[in-house]
Amino acid sequence: MTSDKILTAHASKDQFRWSARGFVAPGVLLVAVLLYVPLLWTVFISFTEYNGLGDPEWVGFANYVEMFDDPQFFNSVLNTLLWVGGTLLVPVGIGLGVALLTWNLKGGTWLRLPFLIPYAVSGIGVGVIWSFILGSGGALDQALGAFGIDDTPRWLVDAPLNTVVMILATAWQGVGVNALLFTIGLQSIPREPLEAAKMDGANGLRLFRSILWPMLRPLTAVVVGLSIVASLKTFDIVQGMTKGGPGGASETLALTMYKETFVNSDYGLGSAIAVFLTVVTLVASILYLRQQLSSKHGV
Amino acid sequence: MPFKSAARAIRTAVLAVLGLFWLLPVYLLLINAAKSPLTFTTTESWRPTDFSLFDNIGEAMRLSGLAEGVLSTLLYAVVSPAIAVVVGAAAGFAIVALRLRHGFAWFVAIFGGTVFPLQMILLPMFDAYSRTGLFDTRTGMVIVYTAISIPFSAFVMRNFFTGIAHNVFEAAVLDGASTWRIFARVYLPMASSALVAVFILQATFIWNDFLLGLVLSQSDTVRPIVTSLAGMQSTYGGAQMSVVLAGGLLVSLPTVVLFLFTQKFFARGLALGQY
Repeated sequence: MTSDKILTAHASKDQFRWSARGFVAPGVLLVAVLLYVPLLWTVFISFTEYNGLGDPEWVGFANYVEMFDDPQFFNSVLNTLLWVGGTLLVPVGIGLGVALLTWNLKGGTWLRLPFLIPYAVSGIGVGVIWSFILGSGGALDQALGAFGIDDTPRWLVDAPLNTVVMILATAWQGVGVNALLFTIGLQSIPREPLEAAKMDGANGLRLFRSILWPMLRPLTAVVVGLSIVASLKTFDIVQGMTKGGPGGASETLALTMYKETFVNSDYGLGSAIAVFLTVVTLVASILYLRQQLSSKHGV
Repeated sequence: MPFKSAARAIRTAVLAVLGLFWLLPVYLLLINAAKSPLTFTTTESWRPTDFSLFDNIGEAMRLSGLAEGVLSTLLYAVVSPAIAVVVGAAAGFAIVALRLRHGFAWFVAIFGGTVFPLQMILLPMFDAYSRTGLFDTRTGMVIVYTAISIPFSAFVMRNFFTGIAHNVFEAAVLDGASTWRIFARVYLPMASSALVAVFILQATFIWNDFLLGLVLSQSDTVRPIVTSLAGMQSTYGGAQMSVVLAGGLLVSLPTVVLFLFTQKFFARGLALGQY
């Protein structure tokens, strides 16, 4: 190698350092200015009394004390937990079921299609359709009436039934994508251990328990983690269907945060709820990431 | 094996019944969105009456200014993810190909922008937008949608570029190409399938966004259509329910069609984001 070639290599390495910074800068700047600065500002506001006029006034933990004293806050926490549990049980569970039923089945792609149609509908769109179906005397009540069941509950009014039916509406939307993800997981399972297990006479439930479930575990961790993080932030569908009502009965944390901030203009309390929601989401994310990492090492 | 074919028949039957059940809300949406406000009644939802779907869609577009809203939403859903995938790819390129110092720390810093809920930025964005005149502007909406799309784009693109051998980069340098040229002519084209996957995921997410539109915009022309649809539902949900349903159909159709035709890209994008 000649000396001038080494020289160019050196020069270009130095040049890369600067161009590397140039390439990463737009992303870092946009994320810093538009995500991290607002994030820190919300943390700051949660320790102040502020309604958008004048200056924020430092009040220490007063907003957090107020938050934990408020029965509505606990109602929202309970509803949010119901959302987390419900969306794990129903859309993830049925999604796995659909994936298993269509797996290696002739025409499986077509049979999966009905479940995929609602997936790309917005939360508000789902809310519009299901509000119409579940309204008093609506499509569901008419269908039940045809079977002689006239004494139906008020689906969107009685709590906690309204949260349950909204979870079911979300399940209608979410089953397809979970089925799709589990299908990808099933297709990536190597053939040999499967054939061997089938030779040994494993079938149905035993095949699932001994081979499929362990092989699907890393993917299941991902689907479960995504589902938990998404359900903690539930907002659109509830705002679209009940607006958190009646009287806050179906509010989730995200809804209470929105209401305190933008309806009651209590910026401090709204920010405190946002911080609480963030801490819960981060804890859930860390738990799931750890689970995912350990299961990857374990298998 | 008779046992096996019987099992297959049962599986097909279960899926077909469950699938039909899943299609019932779609059926109800279609037939009721097609009823003219005159024949529409809340007491008979299961039988189709007439076909005024296009009149209803026209009326829905008039009622909430959905027509202009559609164009604005299209702008957000195309421009923001397009910028975000390129910015994200540039960050990934800097970290992987250019071997940025402390690259992993920068990567974590960018990706960290996606782990907290949007609720954490709503109030400051509203406050800042009101003060700077970005509130209720298309520019403001494009900026915020771009920012929230960048972390995921950077995450996927960095992971994708890690799979490209570094001597591809070295060979291009020996050929005398500038880093910008290597990025634009070598790395971006190689990553086109990942770029498309991320773009489609983000475009769908932005098209379906409700919360940011609710907080950062006000007028019918700037508001994303999903936010307008929610407003329409609470204002006209009584007497003109069939028009609202037609609006719901109009708002939902683009992403549903896009998703059904790009399932593979979609699944790929989701999978890329997770491993």
